[in-house]
Amino acid sequence: MKIKNTRFGDIEYDPQEVITFPQGLIGFEHLRRFVVMPNDKDGPLFWIQSIEDPAIAFILTDPTNFFLNYRVIPEEREKEPLQAVKEDDVYALSIVTVSQDKKITLNLAAPILFNPSSKRAIQVILEGTEYSPQTPLPEVKPTK
Amino acid sequence: MLVLTRKSGEGIVIGENIIVKVIEIKSGGIRIGIEAPRETKIYRQEVYDRIKQENIEAANWDINDLNELSASLFSKKVKK
Repeated sequence: MKIKNTRFGDIEYDPQEVITFPQGLIGFEHLRRFVVMPNDKDGPLFWIQSIEDPAIAFILTDPTNFFLNYRVIPEEREKEPLQAVKEDDVYALSIVTVSQDKKITLNLAAPILFNPSSKRAIQVILEGTEYSPQTPLPEVKPTK
Repeated sequence: MLVLTRKSGEGIVIGENIIVKVIEIKSGGIRIGIEAPRETKIYRQEVYDRIKQENIEAANWDINDLNELSASLFSKKVKK
């Protein structure tokens, strides 16, 4: 299958590898199917491309790369759209925003929950969280 | 927008299976109770709008920046 005119150019993808967002993302509820773009660079970032809208792609990362203690426990009602049986089936990913001045922030307030075995994902808004939707990366202290 | 007047303890039924009830009215705030099927998503509007705006900004990125940032991040990555 093919997606034309994305920012990556024309993309060939395997329908078996499609990730389904049964509820879309917040503000993008109409976009349900994404493909993970192969990342030829080393590093913690990867990106997902919408199949339905070539203009829409998101940068994602595993937030525990930067925030070791970050955990999101899926609620019972969130397991159903993910087709998850137990909490361990589900991983939390963060959407990355690159601002105009090229600062990177992670949306820790509204993570994406992903079940690799069903290839289903949902975005959730954490209730009463102290995490910000624009969490800057932690400062890295120079090693002496 | 439909506008209704309700007193404390009164409710509104929306569709087949959503009930919104005024629990308590005190100065400056109203406590609202909502009964809805558990798959119904319910958010505080300002929180929903904030996340929606953040998603819109997140979708707006330049692939040239990413290559550069991806490389610089690799060196920052915390060892697990």
